[in-house]
Amino acid sequence: MSEATKQAVRPLVDTAESRRPIGLLFVAIPVFLVIWLVIWPAINAISRTVWRKDKSGEMGFDLSSYAFFFSDSYSLDNLSITLWTTLVCAILLLMICLPIALYLRFSRGRLAAYVQALAIFPMFVPSIILAFAFIRVLGPNGMVDILFNAVDLPKIRTPYLTPWGPVIGLVWDNIPLTVLILLAGLGSVANQSIEAARDVGANAVQVFWHIILPRISNSILVALSFSVLGIFSSFTLPYLLGPASPEMLGPFMQRTLREVQDPVGAMTQAVIAFGFCIVFGLFYVRSVARSREK
Amino acid sequence: MSVLHIAEVTKTFSAGAKAVDSFSLDVADGELVCLLGPSGSGKSTLLRMVGGFEQPTSGSITIDGEDVTHLPPERRPTGMVFQSHALWTHMNVFKNLAFGLKLRRMPAAEIRDKVEAVLDLVGLAGYGDRMTTQLSGGQQQRVALARSLVLEPKILLLDEPFASLDQHLRERLREEVRDIQQRLGITTLFVTHGQDEALSMADRIVVMANGKTEQIDRPDVVYRDPKTPFVAGFIGSMNLIDGEVRNGYFMRSDLTVQLQVPDGPATLAIRPESLDVTASDTPKASVHRVTDYGSHGLVDLDLADGTRLKSMVAHPDLFRAGQGVDVFPRAIAAYRDNQQIYRS
Repeated sequence: MSEATKQAVRPLVDTAESRRPIGLLFVAIPVFLVIWLVIWPAINAISRTVWRKDKSGEMGFDLSSYAFFFSDSYSLDNLSITLWTTLVCAILLLMICLPIALYLRFSRGRLAAYVQALAIFPMFVPSIILAFAFIRVLGPNGMVDILFNAVDLPKIRTPYLTPWGPVIGLVWDNIPLTVLILLAGLGSVANQSIEAARDVGANAVQVFWHIILPRISNSILVALSFSVLGIFSSFTLPYLLGPASPEMLGPFMQRTLREVQDPVGAMTQAVIAFGFCIVFGLFYVRSVARSREK
Repeated sequence: MSVLHIAEVTKTFSAGAKAVDSFSLDVADGELVCLLGPSGSGKSTLLRMVGGFEQPTSGSITIDGEDVTHLPPERRPTGMVFQSHALWTHMNVFKNLAFGLKLRRMPAAEIRDKVEAVLDLVGLAGYGDRMTTQLSGGQQQRVALARSLVLEPKILLLDEPFASLDQHLRERLREEVRDIQQRLGITTLFVTHGQDEALSMADRIVVMANGKTEQIDRPDVVYRDPKTPFVAGFIGSMNLIDGEVRNGYFMRSDLTVQLQVPDGPATLAIRPESLDVTASDTPKASVHRVTDYGSHGLVDLDLADGTRLKSMVAHPDLFRAGQGVDVFPRAIAAYRDNQQIYRS
């Protein structure tokens, strides 16, 4: 075989043994960063919370920090409010983002473009500015109060510093990512599939329930997994908008470390948060695996 | 008895372009009518208007005397087979077929009987448990057809159903679909841009161009007696020669054909099989290329001014490139101002 012929039959994706090290090198950098910045700190934190010195100064297996967390009502309240906030945010995100995504998928024209721009807009607003805007609008003596006062209406019961404060902020913050993932999922539902369903007699609700929803269930799981992971471990918005007690795990960890100066307690909280996130993450991995199988 | 009546239907899109322009058609009970035309001729838009997926700007559509013009697709007695099959990949074959029946709240036993009967009809008995993604293109198209047939629609609408299939499968399926259609006696409107499909399947062909009807006739009539130069050029292979008529003769380059029409410009239409060629010492044309198809041959000819003609010959081996030949048209048609003015 001549040199020219050899080049001509070279496949598009070269799997030759000699080229494998280059591919592995590309993969190695992110893998190394994940190991260094995520896996190692996680293993380190877990080991430091379960393998530590006792009162006599001897190293040993010790689950007392976990026992304390799960027996301390304040810690459990904080875990409960974190789970509650995550759950409520997930439900609200689905209720808000699914209609927006459906509208954007099946609408054409200028209005749909404006709606899409508005839905994506929060992605470009930093959380701290969002929190400030929230306080100025919905906080005590905020814009809504001023407007109500101008028309002789009573003051609103502000959600600021209540569990609903972080919920509103986090939902707003997570709308763009959720809409984009759902929109990508809806993109795989062909117009003719929907028309075929209408042709056999399905109305709009039946088309949604029997045709669209089964086709985007993986996208919904992926969107919710991403949102839930972000919300569960969020810090800025719960810290700025949420109540002081009970508080979400993010601010709780920070306060335990800085103010209470209990690094083992903070690490225990982090490990517990990490455990919950792994469960949510498994949903995401399962969804991706299922969609690959299809 | 299911009769489709389309009266003066026009569809104008937002940009102002008319996709369908004052289209009228009556389809008799059990008839298969093909809408044939090039891309952008409005045939699919018209079919979608009958199915309820597009709303006409004006005009009316009635089925068995009932005005369905403004009814949504789910309330029309029509069944549509889509070009891309449009099967629901998250359901197996049985569920694809049973979905419409379930929506009609039919008892489960009856649904099973009906689905199995229709699967048998389309040659897919025993395929109910298969996922649609496990089927070949031809089997998927059969499932799509079965999904429409199981609901026993009054009008069956086929939107280029074989476009995504290979030639061999397409030929086999069109015979099967025609057999099923005739067996069930279902009134059918069929959109295609393949003239072979239209000529082999249809009771009548509607040739469309730019949203308008060019001709509605039986397939043999459309082929043998095209009423407009567009139809003449679109259906089958045709030599269309622009020229001038003077004193009862059409003239173009060295080609002269007797044509008893008033003087003026005209377009002459001659099928390749109606154009005889013979070797000549006083040639009117020269052979450009000879193609041997086995059963017959095709000779490409050039007139002196470069006009290219095609002639179908029984013995292509008698001709060679560069050879001088004489041409003799046997059957001709002539057109002026988009109207047929002569036919022999």
